[in-house]
Amino acid sequence: MKKAKTTDKKLTILKVDKKLDRYLDKGLFKEKVDKANHILKTVGLPKFAK
Amino acid sequence: MKIEKYPVIVGATSMVYEFVSEGSKGNISKLVIYSETHLHNFYNLGFGDKDETTGKINDSVVTNNGDSEKVLATVAATLYEFTNKFPEAMIFATGSTKARTRLYRMGISNNLDSIKPDFEVFGLTAEKEWIPFEIKREFEAFLVKRKKVNL
Repeated sequence: MKKAKTTDKKLTILKVDKKLDRYLDKGLFKEKVDKANHILKTVGLPKFAK
Repeated sequence: MKIEKYPVIVGATSMVYEFVSEGSKGNISKLVIYSETHLHNFYNLGFGDKDETTGKINDSVVTNNGDSEKVLATVAATLYEFTNKFPEAMIFATGSTKARTRLYRMGISNNLDSIKPDFEVFGLTAEKEWIPFEIKREFEAFLVKRKKVNL
């Protein structure tokens, strides 16, 4: 049995399944992506540490 | 405090994660998706329940499966895997309803001790200004970015 991969902060990954990536093409969460784009345009970005 | 997390299945891109919430209402599949926006390295974090019958994702429901802390800790933990692959990513998150935005705020607040050493965390105020995240303050949206490691 394959051992699950554990990343830092202990996210246990059971497996990699490329079929999940099909969701990227479905335009999910479109309203939120539109909101993100709107905030980018109207508010911009915070000042990140260099 | 260490919060338990669910194991996940990850897409080959590291942009999609699936896990199963186990609680009082049964097993509910959850999806976390990091979507590209108009700006390079700026991603929207979306997460919701997967309807196993239709395959559709509902991001407006608050499931009340009795495991919200574990669910939110799992979503927070996907940030690490995602930013391992995309270290320069800025990640935007907001709820589809006020209740969902409060849920996101709760998720960040509960996991802030774990997240803050590794991420810069900002909240968008009602005055449309990004400020460093504060527990108990209302925000309209959130933005996180992995801190750079000085070697």
